[in-house]
Amino acid sequence: MGKAFDPSLIIEFIPTLFHYLGVTLQILAASIFLGLILGVAAAIPRLFNIPILNQLVILYVSFIRGTPILIQLFLVFYGLPAVLQIIKIDVSKLEAIYFVIITYAISNGAGFSEIFRGAIRAVDKGQTEAAYSVGMTSTQNFFRIVMPQALRIAFPNVANSVIGSLKDTSLAFTIGVMDMMGRGDTLISATAHALEVYISLSIIYYSVVLLFEKTLGKLEKFFNRYQKADLSAAA
Amino acid sequence: MTIDIPFIWTAFKEIIKSLPITLVLTLVPLAVGFLIGLAVALVRIYKIRFLNQAANGYVSFFRGTPIIMHIMAIYYGIPLLIDQVSFKFDLNIQTNKIPIILFVLIALSLAAGAYLSEMIRSGIISVSTGQLEAAYSVGMTKFQAMFRIVLPQALAQSIPNFTNLFVGFLHTSSIAFLVSEKELTGAANIVASTNLKFLEAFIAAGIIYWVLTILVEGISFLLEKRVTSYSRGGVS
Repeated sequence: MGKAFDPSLIIEFIPTLFHYLGVTLQILAASIFLGLILGVAAAIPRLFNIPILNQLVILYVSFIRGTPILIQLFLVFYGLPAVLQIIKIDVSKLEAIYFVIITYAISNGAGFSEIFRGAIRAVDKGQTEAAYSVGMTSTQNFFRIVMPQALRIAFPNVANSVIGSLKDTSLAFTIGVMDMMGRGDTLISATAHALEVYISLSIIYYSVVLLFEKTLGKLEKFFNRYQKADLSAAA
Repeated sequence: MTIDIPFIWTAFKEIIKSLPITLVLTLVPLAVGFLIGLAVALVRIYKIRFLNQAANGYVSFFRGTPIIMHIMAIYYGIPLLIDQVSFKFDLNIQTNKIPIILFVLIALSLAAGAYLSEMIRSGIISVSTGQLEAAYSVGMTKFQAMFRIVLPQALAQSIPNFTNLFVGFLHTSSIAFLVSEKELTGAANIVASTNLKFLEAFIAAGIIYWVLTILVEGISFLLEKRVTSYSRGGVS
């Protein structure tokens, strides 16, 4: 299995692999953005208790939370072309990366919808009553009073989802996407130094995750800047 | 390509046979990880010198890298290490005879340990210090207070977190198929490629995972109700 372990190769592989970090971040950014839209859309029927749509969203969230991301990836990769063929759209030429983005967007959307719902529920009812008592309309109340507070509550959970999603993108190579893992795979076939490649990849992923954690932590502090110290520790 | 609905059932019957492997890949890492996590959490709570830094590094690294990395690094790394050792001491161990599932179990256990230590730690911290003081005041030792008073409460509180982790690891075990382990996803992949019916096989696998998840969540809900039935007050 492979050749003798060569630590110097770990350093040597890092720049090659780092080059493909862009693809990983692209998948992440696109899927988070689409996921946020989907999450808001899915949270609305749950919050306003719209019949039928409400049940559909419950089913959607339950399915996404009940199946591994790998299975979802395969289902979209093999299922989407079959479904779209019924309405005569041919996507067989579409690059694998789009399937990955769609999968992760659907997956993130389910998570985000639950986070948003919880965050909006967590805003004190008295805030809404106070808004109405000063004569705000329900739209004003939502956008000016409830949403800013809900965003603050939702932020740490969204940040966790983003970091989790970053780590999940490492599975995109299973359907043939040339991201960091995919490039690592080709490096292994070319050099037979599997362990070194995976150590290099771990170093890159770990650095990026640490960087994300630091940045998102700073942002969280920023969102909590009007909170009293003891309150922000509890939230 | 059209969807062959009856084949989903055929695939289902074929894939469900590998359910035990998925369960082993979920339960064993969580059991081993619980012991690792408990030890690491205690090291971090009592701030034992040197060990504390090592524990922090371990938790941070394993939580900061994808689990597929741990599986791959151990899958390729351990045989290399054993080969070196056995070459040096002339032990004549054949690394290719070691079953692959062992590597996956080690990797998943280490990952589970890191995640569980954080959960156990936050559970312990959330138990009020009054409980500890009360335990000391009736003459319990530090050890007794931790294991008889604090930990049971901490673990009871952590049940929702443990459930999420359980479901997470049930899903994570699907990664094992990448090192050709024949668990649910691996079996689905084999059924899919031998019959060239990919969508149907993965639908069947998805349904199995979905049902498992719902079952686990249901059991956890009942367990939580039972375990926390004595602590309805405002203490915890």
